[in-house]
Amino acid sequence: MKWLHLRPGRRGLFPVLLWIIALMLLFPQRGEAYAGPGAGFAVLSSFWTIFVAFLYSFYALVTWPIRQLLRMFRRRKAYGKAQVKRVVIVGFDGMDPELATRFMSEGKLPNLAKLRDGGTFRPLRTTFPAISPVAWSTFQTGVNPGKHNIYDFLARDLKNYLPYLSSAQISEPKRHLKIGKYSLPLGKSEVRGLRKGTPFWHWLGKAGVFCSVIRVPVTFPPEKFPGVLLSGMCVPDLKGSQGTFCFCTTQASSDKFREGGVRIPIERNGAGYHSYIPGPENPLGTGSELRANFKIRPDAKRGRARIEIDSETFTIKVGEYSEWIPVKFKAGMGFTARGICRFYLKEISPEVEVYVTPVNIDPGHPDLPISHPVTYSIYLAKLFGPYATLGLAEDTWALNEEVLDDQAFLAQAYGNHEDRERMFFDALEKTPQGLCACVFDTTDRVQHMFWRYLDKDHPAVRDVPQDQKPRVIQDLYDRMDTLIGRVMQQIDDQTLLLVISDHGFRSFNRCMNLNAWLHQNGYLVLKDGKKESGDWFEDVDWSRTRAYTMGLNGLYMNIKGREREGIVEAGAEAEALKEELRGKLDGLIDPASGKVGITGMFDCDAVYAGPYVDNAPDLIVGYGEGFRASWDSVMGKVTTAIFEDNLKAWSGDHCVDPRLVPGVLFSNRKIAIEKPAIVDVAPTVMKLFGLELPSYFDGKPWAVAATSNK
Amino acid sequence: MLSGFAARNSLVWVLAISIVIGFLMVIVFRYTSDQKAIGRAKDRLKAHLLAVRLFQDQLPVVIRAYGKILRGTGSYLRLAFTPFLIAILPITFLIVQLDRYFGWLPLQPAQSFLVVARVSDPAALNDAALRLPPELSSSAPAVHVPKDKEITWRVVAEREGQYEIKIATGGQTVSKQVVVSPGLARVSPVRLKDNFWERMFTSGEPALADNSPVQSIAINYPAREISFAWMEWNWIVLFFVVSLIAGFIFKSVLGIQV
Repeated sequence: MKWLHLRPGRRGLFPVLLWIIALMLLFPQRGEAYAGPGAGFAVLSSFWTIFVAFLYSFYALVTWPIRQLLRMFRRRKAYGKAQVKRVVIVGFDGMDPELATRFMSEGKLPNLAKLRDGGTFRPLRTTFPAISPVAWSTFQTGVNPGKHNIYDFLARDLKNYLPYLSSAQISEPKRHLKIGKYSLPLGKSEVRGLRKGTPFWHWLGKAGVFCSVIRVPVTFPPEKFPGVLLSGMCVPDLKGSQGTFCFCTTQASSDKFREGGVRIPIERNGAGYHSYIPGPENPLGTGSELRANFKIRPDAKRGRARIEIDSETFTIKVGEYSEWIPVKFKAGMGFTARGICRFYLKEISPEVEVYVTPVNIDPGHPDLPISHPVTYSIYLAKLFGPYATLGLAEDTWALNEEVLDDQAFLAQAYGNHEDRERMFFDALEKTPQGLCACVFDTTDRVQHMFWRYLDKDHPAVRDVPQDQKPRVIQDLYDRMDTLIGRVMQQIDDQTLLLVISDHGFRSFNRCMNLNAWLHQNGYLVLKDGKKESGDWFEDVDWSRTRAYTMGLNGLYMNIKGREREGIVEAGAEAEALKEELRGKLDGLIDPASGKVGITGMFDCDAVYAGPYVDNAPDLIVGYGEGFRASWDSVMGKVTTAIFEDNLKAWSGDHCVDPRLVPGVLFSNRKIAIEKPAIVDVAPTVMKLFGLELPSYFDGKPWAVAATSNK
Repeated sequence: MLSGFAARNSLVWVLAISIVIGFLMVIVFRYTSDQKAIGRAKDRLKAHLLAVRLFQDQLPVVIRAYGKILRGTGSYLRLAFTPFLIAILPITFLIVQLDRYFGWLPLQPAQSFLVVARVSDPAALNDAALRLPPELSSSAPAVHVPKDKEITWRVVAEREGQYEIKIATGGQTVSKQVVVSPGLARVSPVRLKDNFWERMFTSGEPALADNSPVQSIAINYPAREISFAWMEWNWIVLFFVVSLIAGFIFKSVLGIQV
């Protein structure tokens, strides 16, 4: 009865006084009513909150036994045979087993080492190709890509050879009402998920096992299931892209960013400046782009600037980010798109330069659903404040284009990471029984951008002495280890902890334009007189082209009857061409370095099985250590050079031969398996909760020890 | 004394004052409160409410969330307390003054009313006499209630005006204001001796002399009821409701966290 011992000390008396006043105001006599609206606002709001809370709680308490009874049968099935009370999965996108081993052998990563020593540490086989959306789709569905239909970030449209996002499609409302120059949408945009298969938390949820799922890639659009889910990788920004930053500058330039950003002029306006953030296309069909204007008042003496946008006014110093700022894009006739973004003041003298993050969907007022239920993203926003919702929220493009420097990028990445840690630990607290899964993708982004400091010979930093290279990746692994330490403190012996990654990492110091190789070897033909092609096969003569590549690892044949202008007959001719390409590309040497550029060409008919194999590339290209597809090749551009040095900050990658980049598997329990694969996770968790496994699963459940070794 | 349409239509006055006060209050709230902290406190409260709904199958989570709601409400009230303290004093004085006008109806010509005098010593009732101006007349003999130390007279006013009645007892004479008016007028239903706080809230006249045998003189002005929205309202209740609604509207328009 400790709570009864109220001590009216300085802290104790004040709330008591408040409650007395509040109760007096609830039943106002003539005198007390004089408190008027000032107190009324506070009291009404508070009592309304308590009243609603009471109703909710009353409902929850009264209906709890009934709901428990109704679910008992299913729960009994789920937990009756369960070997665990809770499974916690911490996903570190791209955590590399070789690096983890190296750091642990150097005496670092004490918490992961503890898992290794007392439980399990193994490389985790990844998917073909070793790309996050592919691997995490396999993780969640327990099947190979032939059954979940995700083969890359991009898929190609057979009608026009153009790319589209492989995971989701957002389409405009079908019906519109024409009013003058406006075309009013009648209904909402439709978001359609393209990933097939059923995530294993749907099976768990149906059996009464509560699941909290945070930012697992390819969970957008969020699907209904009995649990909570916040979507991760593949959530678009407000423009519908995978992240378009905005660089506002007074410096005149006609240069365009290769990818992921736009340059916007800042114009002088009296003592201040003004610029704008480009937004989505006007939904009223005017064909124009919406804009959010903002004003900048630099204060060069103090090294800061005041920025005004809508009703928000804030001040930031040079080299500092703002908080998340709400932005409204007004379309007219009451239509408004709402998002959030952060400003980074890069310079105020002599030029004024402001970087603005891609405009994220506002989690507190989501224009598109980014969670299930919709209120879950709102709940998190109310609890922790606004947070990045974009799938690829760490702006790698801005660092690649040198709009952000290393420190600014890391500040952004770790800022997002801290938000996600808060969400994850909240989910852990809210899921005392069931599944709690969260994927942290900071590991992937930071390794992509900072591998150059780990690789002694990386061409992007050849002029930086080895002893001056920052230890960014070591720090990253240390941070993740600390996170795992916190998790280990919050779980009990009945909880299984799995720390996994979807793939590992390798250096990316040589770019290969496979389209250029195909062109120079006669498989891809350009229009007469052309020696190069623009993006997305602009100058390709399809009537004479037999093979092409698009995306990170897929190689396609131009099959007659499949592609719009296909010329290769399906069957024997296609098989022969496939073998010919495999023969020539497998083991291809980079003449400049003398290294093997491609260590494996994988026939998709052999590595995939399932109803969606027809959508797969014909061959998966397994680049050798240090190599990867060039950005030009990814975007369907044909250049003259086949191999080039990679001079960009994006210096580490995993889109190579999947055998080179397994992920990691750590666990607090012994797992008796030599070569675990990411496809095994779903069946393993389902089996641990005592569920029957669907017959179509490709993964096999692991033998997990009944107790953990603390 | 006010006359004419506005004077007669107290509803218009109460609504107008309530709206103005509602507006002023949100402005005061805006500049005397920690807006960011209030916003955060409200957001957290909403989050805990949502948690009850989202995690309703996890009873321990629901119970914890309910506890957080109670704690969060306390934090929110604490944040609202500073502006409340700052606003309460001027608002109280303002409302006390307004209550003189809107709390009571002045007497009407030809309407009889009671004058009740309370004395400190019942013996003083025996020689108590009421002295009226020519426009007022007594309509019944005085009623003595020694048990309550009270004496009551029934009086009628012939025409409108502001009058002074006098009560003589124990060799002293004390007076009391009487208002007879068809419109809006400032009235004081009682004149008191001592008791500062009661005088401040209910009386509009100076205190009776300390050595006076009379403790109080009261006039039974009828309480004013205001017809609004098919209901009869006490003006303070109407003021409370309308100023709150106005405040909520203004705070939304002005983007103020309340």
